[in-house]
Amino acid sequence: MTTLFYTHSACLEHDTGFGHPECPARLAAILNVLKTAPFAALEWRDAPEATDEQLTRIHTPAYVEHIFARIPKRGHYAIDGDTIVSTRSGEAALRSAGAVCAAVEAILKGEANNAFCAIRPPGHHAEPHQAMGFCLFSNAAIGAAHARAVGDLDRVAVIDFDVHHGNGTQAALEQDPGYLYISTHQAYIYPGTGHREERGVGNVVNIPLMANSGSADLHRVWQQEIEPALREFQPQLILVSAGFDAHYLDPLAELNFNEEDYQWLTQQILTVAKDCCEGRVVSLLEGGYNLPALAASVAAHVNALMEAPRTVQRSLIKDILERQKAKRNA
Amino acid sequence: MYEFLHYQVRDAMTADPIAISPKTKLHEVEALFEFHDFNGVPVIDDQWRLHGILTKFDLLKAFSFDTHALVPHYHEIMEQTAETIMTHDPVSVEPQLPLSRLLQKLVEMRTKSLPVVENGRLVGIIAREDVLKALRRAAIEHQTPGHQELQP
Repeated sequence: MTTLFYTHSACLEHDTGFGHPECPARLAAILNVLKTAPFAALEWRDAPEATDEQLTRIHTPAYVEHIFARIPKRGHYAIDGDTIVSTRSGEAALRSAGAVCAAVEAILKGEANNAFCAIRPPGHHAEPHQAMGFCLFSNAAIGAAHARAVGDLDRVAVIDFDVHHGNGTQAALEQDPGYLYISTHQAYIYPGTGHREERGVGNVVNIPLMANSGSADLHRVWQQEIEPALREFQPQLILVSAGFDAHYLDPLAELNFNEEDYQWLTQQILTVAKDCCEGRVVSLLEGGYNLPALAASVAAHVNALMEAPRTVQRSLIKDILERQKAKRNA
Repeated sequence: MYEFLHYQVRDAMTADPIAISPKTKLHEVEALFEFHDFNGVPVIDDQWRLHGILTKFDLLKAFSFDTHALVPHYHEIMEQTAETIMTHDPVSVEPQLPLSRLLQKLVEMRTKSLPVVENGRLVGIIAREDVLKALRRAAIEHQTPGHQELQP
């Protein structure tokens, strides 16, 4: 049972400016925890750059060109108030989309059961013609389209549990019944989309949650909505837009998930994947802005992907949070 | 403004705040309000466990018309203890709550302040003014250079 792990140093060099919440330290925190002993069995791979062919299945060539024309030779450039690019952002964006495509290919070839891509910039807000919300290329949609193309698949599902609605992923996939897009997100926050009434061609399931929703709500919507929709669709591959900003310590929203919820949700997804598509799951990082909470949540998520014993995981997460506390008190 | 996202309740709260016991008389509470610039006071036992919160609104409410008396009697009411009119089991927050989330809570609840509790003990109180001050600090003292100036 192998889990692949894709990342690239360029993703650490995507500089969004002083104090920006979508910062290189997010990825550094994740890499630090995944380098520890409990994750020794992860197979690390360098993310390749996405090709034009891969990008333009979702974005227009003009859009791709437009993004690269915005990358400054020095300093920063603001695409919008929050979406900042700097010298290395172009390569980071290519490596992020490329990681997902490479992971999809490896999983479809049977090189491993599942994969996690620790990438930034994130992707789920990037629409086919518009970068926004820290996102440049629609990584999940690009990966899903790549799976359809190279794997000759008819049905690819994307589950997005980031606290924000993945308007970009939805915009890219909602017209094609070969995709299923399911999103849980907090209602009435950025980007304002993701209402229940948005159903695409019957292939979009939006599940807005009220502020302060937590574990019990997650369990309920999984059982009543997510799992039935997934099983009915019978995906041949599941992609996961794994944002961890629904964590109770995250500063950008007000849902109250914890590490155990992420572990549990991952296990549920894997169970459906096992029944529908021989366990094929490719997960990719989206948001998550409290560093220790992000590291602990990714640890829980990846641990579930690796199906390592629960006990190891609990002590590890406790360890991360306690070390953080000790640092604060020092 | 990004700096604000790093703040937690503990960074902005008033630590070890003035608090009263459930047996404190209302005239003593009134005196507290007279001399201090706060709107509500936490009610705790000698173990610093939070039992309630008593605000100026609760005091006013004690004087509103009810079925017991035609006219509310000032001294009689002021002889009552805090526990008779306080809000029991009030909403509280933990010190590690992101300040951005605390702000949302204050807005949603339309409340002026919330007690801060850690391991079952009252450790602070956080009010609208504290959040406003933190916002100002984050936006002004930690101003980031404008990004728009640099063109690709």
